Amino acid sequence: MEKAVRLDASGTGRASRLSEKTKDGLFLAAIISPALLLLLFTIGIPIVKSLYLSFYDVTLLRMKSLSWNGFANYRNLFADGDFGHSVAVTFRYVFTIVALQFVLGMALALILNGKIPMRRAIRTVVLIPWVIPTIIGALLWMWLFQPQYGIVNYVLQYLHLIDKPLNWLSDIHLALWAVTAAALWKQLPFMVTMLLAGMQGIPGDMYEAAMIDGANKRQQFWYVTLPMLKNTIQTVTLIACIENFKMFPLFWIMTSGGPVDATTTLSILSYKTAFIDLDLGKGAAIGAIWLVIMLLFSWIYNRLFSIGEGKGGGAH
Amino acid sequence: MNRSRRINGVVSALILAAFLLFLLFPLYWMLLTSFKDNSVLFKLPPEWWPSNPVTSHYEKLFADKVFLTYYRNSLLVSFCTTAVTLLASTFAGYGFSRFQFRFKSLAMMSILSTQMLPVVSLLIALYTMYNNYGLLNNRGGLVIALTTSCLPFSIWMIKVFFDGIPIDLEESAKIDGASRFGILLRIVLPLTKPGLFSIGIYSFILSWDDFLYSITLINQDALRSLNAGIAIRYIGELSYDWSSIMTVCVTSIVPISLLFLFFQKYMVSGLTAGAVKG
Repeated sequence: MEKAVRLDASGTGRASRLSEKTKDGLFLAAIISPALLLLLFTIGIPIVKSLYLSFYDVTLLRMKSLSWNGFANYRNLFADGDFGHSVAVTFRYVFTIVALQFVLGMALALILNGKIPMRRAIRTVVLIPWVIPTIIGALLWMWLFQPQYGIVNYVLQYLHLIDKPLNWLSDIHLALWAVTAAALWKQLPFMVTMLLAGMQGIPGDMYEAAMIDGANKRQQFWYVTLPMLKNTIQTVTLIACIENFKMFPLFWIMTSGGPVDATTTLSILSYKTAFIDLDLGKGAAIGAIWLVIMLLFSWIYNRLFSIGEGKGGGAH
Repeated sequence: MNRSRRINGVVSALILAAFLLFLLFPLYWMLLTSFKDNSVLFKLPPEWWPSNPVTSHYEKLFADKVFLTYYRNSLLVSFCTTAVTLLASTFAGYGFSRFQFRFKSLAMMSILSTQMLPVVSLLIALYTMYNNYGLLNNRGGLVIALTTSCLPFSIWMIKVFFDGIPIDLEESAKIDGASRFGILLRIVLPLTKPGLFSIGIYSFILSWDDFLYSITLINQDALRSLNAGIAIRYIGELSYDWSSIMTVCVTSIVPISLLFLFFQKYMVSGLTAGAVKG
């Protein structure tokens, strides 16, 4: 309120006051409408339309004459079992990748927050994989995981950790891990950078006070660093969860959802249903349930983070 | 005490080295593979350092007209997306930062939560809409779709930047009789340069990374962008020609690497400002 009033108050005299206010309103409308219209056109309308399509029998080849088929799309989904399977795969993937990148990211951020030589340079180069396009990362890791000539199998065999080459991407039990490794490579830098930025925002006297009270390094981590990082952790892990729920290119390029659906996540399943099997209605139904899952998920997530505190602390 | 500290130091140096290896070695391997002749490529044990680097893969790639078309399309689409995102998000972010209006926080929340929506749901509806309006196979249509995937976080980032600029300057300019657009363009924007760099780089990276929108909304080879083109053309045909694939990869990260080299300072400050304060 305050800012707008101050801008208003600088108008000259009472007579122009009302017109100043209208001018402000018009100016505001003019500057925010382009963004809002764009968002409405490619996100607002499509999401409503997609919910609507999920109740119709509509395929890519026949988009003109829609016929209402009630909940048939949804019933089919639950009837053929693929859906439940892909929900399970998605959650397994999201949980693994976010947990891994959080724990490893925290470890690396703690190291980089300490006094180490060439700290600046290391912080910079560590960020590089983050800017590499996802599909380039996917191709690169396919080459690293290549069964006969890939470097991963070679090194593991050289170290006698495995005795014969593994088919990383075509083995039911390994494929999801291989994709997770590629995802970790690409996403770890972002996690580290965010956690590090959060750590640098913690005032140094907090640690001094803890040290005076006789806290050792480990105690400082548990009782100073972690609680102070809570908001950052909540934000970055939620971003990571959302990004990975949506992850499409890595799976599409590396495994196309195979072998035998072992890596078919919700985004792969809905894409295949809509654009390969050409069943837009059913694809939209998957999206609708997915949306409900996301809403529930982020609600529970935020609830979990607000346990043990009266009302969310700090800014936002 | 001293000894345990030294052991700690050694352990963390080892862990750091392992992390660096994990993050950087794949990139080195990509670069190295692109200079290996096919006869060297399939040798075991592999060559860790090229004994006889060849540039033939690059020569072949640059002779490929289709690849150059993809590349040009990608540059065009990414630059346009960046420009449109910059315009729309700067204006909107300024509005959100400087004015109070009803449903403001609800609007900001809804804009940010669009990030959560399943992309494929959006794509299904967007595909039918684009089909009706003739926007399929249209690079402009792709730019619009990509812009809106960049917008939510860009608006947020630039709003945070505007929040950090004191309003006094604008007030005194206003007393001097400057128009609102004049204030925004001549006084506020120059002060926001780091913020503009941040969102510009963010949107360029995001649109250069796009794969899903471009394989869905475009299916004519002449209009395809790089990622879609690579996936469709190079993976099927050359599935065993890893040197060529790595050459494509190296070439396609050049623009992003240049951006990174010159502007990484802004990348970090923008992202952390946006996400940590969020």
